[in-house]
Amino acid sequence: MSSEECLTELKSSIENLDKEAAVEATKKALKMGLDPIEIIEKGLAKGLREVGSRFEKGELFIVELIAAAEAMKAAMEILEPEILKRKTKREVLGRVVLGTVAGDIHDIGKNIVASLLTAAGFEVYDLGKDVPVEKFIEKAKEVNADVIGASALLTTTVPIQKDLADAIKRSGLNVKYIVGGAAVTPQWAEEIGAAYAEDASSAVEVIKNLVKQKE
Amino acid sequence: MVYVRKLKPIEVLSKDAREDIHLASLELLKEMGVKVYSKEALRILEESGAKVDQEKQMAYIPPYLVEEALKKTPKYVKLCARNPKYDVILDGKHICCSTDGTGMYTIDLDTGERRPSTKDDVAKSARIINALEDADLYYPLVTPLDFPKHAHVLHEFDAAINNLEKHFMSGATYLREEATYLIKMASAVVGGIEELRKRPIISAVACMMSPLILPLGETDAALEFSKYGIPVVPMTMPLLGATGPITPAGSVLIGNAQILAINTVIQMKYPGTPVIYSSFPLSMEMKTGAFAVSFPEADLVIAGHIQMARHYGMPNLAGGNIGSAKLPDEQAAYEKALCGLITVLAGGDICGTIGLLENYMVLSYEQLLIDYEMYRMMVKLAEGIDVNEDTLALDTIYRVGPEGHFMAEKHTLKHAKDVWAPLITDPRSHQAWKKEGGKSVVEVAREKVREILATHEPEPLDEDVKRELERIIKEGEENLPHRPHNP
Repeated sequence: MSSEECLTELKSSIENLDKEAAVEATKKALKMGLDPIEIIEKGLAKGLREVGSRFEKGELFIVELIAAAEAMKAAMEILEPEILKRKTKREVLGRVVLGTVAGDIHDIGKNIVASLLTAAGFEVYDLGKDVPVEKFIEKAKEVNADVIGASALLTTTVPIQKDLADAIKRSGLNVKYIVGGAAVTPQWAEEIGAAYAEDASSAVEVIKNLVKQKE
Repeated sequence: MVYVRKLKPIEVLSKDAREDIHLASLELLKEMGVKVYSKEALRILEESGAKVDQEKQMAYIPPYLVEEALKKTPKYVKLCARNPKYDVILDGKHICCSTDGTGMYTIDLDTGERRPSTKDDVAKSARIINALEDADLYYPLVTPLDFPKHAHVLHEFDAAINNLEKHFMSGATYLREEATYLIKMASAVVGGIEELRKRPIISAVACMMSPLILPLGETDAALEFSKYGIPVVPMTMPLLGATGPITPAGSVLIGNAQILAINTVIQMKYPGTPVIYSSFPLSMEMKTGAFAVSFPEADLVIAGHIQMARHYGMPNLAGGNIGSAKLPDEQAAYEKALCGLITVLAGGDICGTIGLLENYMVLSYEQLLIDYEMYRMMVKLAEGIDVNEDTLALDTIYRVGPEGHFMAEKHTLKHAKDVWAPLITDPRSHQAWKKEGGKSVVEVAREKVREILATHEPEPLDEDVKRELERIIKEGEENLPHRPHNP
């Protein structure tokens, strides 16, 4: 198999929303000696961009986009240690640390945002749910994040978003902050000095703008 | 696209109640008799064994005749379309969508003004129905008031069929001659009268009169259609408390007796004619005497008639998304949603009846799409819940576990296309809605209508067929009587 064929296989595994195929193709590509960045940029990410643009045009369902993003994520788990080993860095639209705040385990909306961001070309570090404030800060430092995103669905967990805002200020990190979730209002976001998006697709737009502002 | 009904119809009439209504109908037809203005119908009934009083134009129909006619009535009716891929089967298991009809005014798409309807409105609305995937047949929503009134039926068909590959159900024909010309036109489209008999691309409504009258022109026209095997849709429209009893049971009874009477005439003369049981009753508002097509009592009569039709194994057309609202507003929404839903849930075959306001008088293009959207929601509800190994998704649930999600699962991907998809309904966030102009559903519907009219091209008729239709219309305009025959 030529490296050309291998890249095509990587790309189509994502286009076919096939997680197992993406993992297999990634392992094969590494074995063949392809560079991890090349595997991503000329293979996997190319496929994901294709899926993303078909979704934008209304040709694909949201769950298909998510499935593509998850296939990409599974492949990335294999590639990340390799990238670290080689001390190379991938050119991305931006690095985003995401999580649902401590005390809250509602994460489906945040998961959708993570997938849409991945499909749009961001590198996403999804910390999951019930994430303590310190963990957001730690991860943002570690990956040199551009944006931190915190989700809260419960009225009782919304105040944690303010704790995180304060922690970001204290940390001195040059990072933008965005909040979302059903219990969050634009007024609240403004009050705590965060950006706000009401749904997943507008979150992608807002985060793109935040990254631009940062530059 | 025809939907399969999986939900068992709700019962507004128990089996005993249906039997009671049937027996009372038989008694009325025999003992009280029915007024028959059509000489041919009177003769058919007399020759079949009914007692007839020629002078009073009354027929007293014995129960065995009514029962015999019911046995000859087809249980399955195929509504053929100009393009066979749009054929529709009525068999009690499928649900299909029709337009409502026939109005006199149109709320102008550009000015918003309520004005007399035109032939262009018929053409445009037919084109929209041709474009909408889940709309199955076209009933002229309005009549062209910019053309000679005595030939309105011909102009309705002409405007529609030039824009329609689906089945055409003619609104009420009031004269035998109208039927003759409509049959000529439909024959020209399919290539001859024998072709039309094999594949009737038209059906026709025959409006009966309450309390118990078989009118002259309507009955004669129904017989003319029957002669060529064209499905006939006898329609009963009792006004509760005025031309029918004030109680829903009484109006179900009187309407049912009407349908049985005309069906007996048709089946005795042309056995096996497809007959579709149709009911559009109206309530009366007791303080003002105003009529309303979808007050709860009228809705119940609709549901009752649907169940009588099913009791006889006859296909039905009744109720649907109807209302007396003046605008595509909140009143229109709840009237239409409630009547439309009970129509579907009670067992309606032809449902929807989309597009009109003000008790079948006014076409609103925006309402047409709103009604269509509601219809699509209702038929999805009538599919009920399918329970089997695949739909239970037990394996998938195990794989996802207590903390995962289902969004990327194969099971989800496989079924995503089955999920109800909106045409004009906006489920998005306030922010996303506002970003696109914060439009009401009426505005969204208007834009969608414009988009369809700008882009949808129905398969045109052959040039020589078009010319032949024009020739028949011209002949019809010259020969059709300008005034109805005197009964």
